[in-house]
Amino acid sequence: MERFYKKSTADFYTLVFLLLLSILTITLDYKYNQITYIRSIITDLIVYPIDQLSSMPKSLLNDAIRESSNLDELENTIALLKKENMNLKIKLQELASLKDENTRLRKITKQSLTMSKKQTIVKVINNAASPNKRILAIDKGQKHGIFVGQNVIGVNGLVGQIIETNFLSSKVILISEPTHTTPGQINRTGEKVLINGSEDSQKLSINYAKVGIDIKPGDIISTSGIAGRFKSKIPIGKISKVYNNPDRRFSEIDIEPFENIGNMSELILIWDYKPQQEKEKINE
Amino acid sequence: MNSFLVILISFFISIALTISTFPLGSFSPDWIHLFLIYWILAAPKSVGLVVSWIIGLTADVVVGSTLGANALVYVLISYIILKTYKTIRYLTVFQQGIIVLFLLIFKYTILLWIDKLLTIGNYGLSVYWIPLVSAIIWPIIFFSLRSIRRRYNIK
Repeated sequence: MERFYKKSTADFYTLVFLLLLSILTITLDYKYNQITYIRSIITDLIVYPIDQLSSMPKSLLNDAIRESSNLDELENTIALLKKENMNLKIKLQELASLKDENTRLRKITKQSLTMSKKQTIVKVINNAASPNKRILAIDKGQKHGIFVGQNVIGVNGLVGQIIETNFLSSKVILISEPTHTTPGQINRTGEKVLINGSEDSQKLSINYAKVGIDIKPGDIISTSGIAGRFKSKIPIGKISKVYNNPDRRFSEIDIEPFENIGNMSELILIWDYKPQQEKEKINE
Repeated sequence: MNSFLVILISFFISIALTISTFPLGSFSPDWIHLFLIYWILAAPKSVGLVVSWIIGLTADVVVGSTLGANALVYVLISYIILKTYKTIRYLTVFQQGIIVLFLLIFKYTILLWIDKLLTIGNYGLSVYWIPLVSAIIWPIIFFSLRSIRRRYNIK
């Protein structure tokens, strides 16, 4: 009887201790962000290897498919790429002159230069790294100097930003996540808009645009650089539909992103832009 | 094989299953917790509260919630099971499934409550599908883990 009693109280005290410890960790993680290294350690030791292992069958399959593509196809591809390369080179010449002109004009207006110098290409190791948010895991982390808030782009446009860095891997939140908002602007008019993700991963939307705003399908949207989260002038997408309903206060606008967001295997990180710290938070 | 190692490997498998069923969203079963419930029922002397807490913390990292939120509910539910495992063991698998359903509903209610209290917005009401799917899948986990346990004679 006494033994049973001792065991019972021991269990009870363990329970109370562990519950208090949990509350402590919740507080530390939520309020002070002090224990992110615990997250990093567990991610690097447990989640990262499992991610790698579970993505192995897929990459093996991809390799096998690549091996089996025959010589003709390869020749065709080479021809195509050569053609594309030539076209791109011609365009590049135009671009170089434009760049010079741009630099000169910016010097006149004393604005900072916004040209990417260093980029890193990263591989996506998990296309769905969270059960309820559109978050990707990539194969580079603090070891490679990646920082929270770093802008992530694809070859065609904006993809997202880094929200968590571990030693060997990082997590990227996509701009198509419904709870994520990107400050953007309409290139044609310079009007500032807020871009949200939507349930459909291939569609972004502007939820708070005044009825009668000067916007039409085909307009190109890029980042505005307001709020200091994203570098300015990164292309985001094209307006695909405008629903103007005079009974509502806001018109609904759909954007078709340039990037195939959510279904990418390689991403690009840019280095010449560091997001500003949230000054309001520090001042508090 | 060492029983500790078998249990550890099974937890690795549960994490792999969790990660690979992320695309299902709220319709994916709560693999890690189902595995933990099984091991507590089957081997309450090897898997106790401290192990539950560590597993819960790992679950927090895997699903990306606030560190400690899952750890807290894992410990609470493990305590309930540890106090009642003698009764639950003698129920049929389907009756156990119903117990699992209500335990997990309790779990997600607390998780939602913590989430709303801290205004994080990680979870929505759709998480209540998880207990249902988990309870449906419980017999499969029960029988497969029981065969593993018998093969390696874990007590």
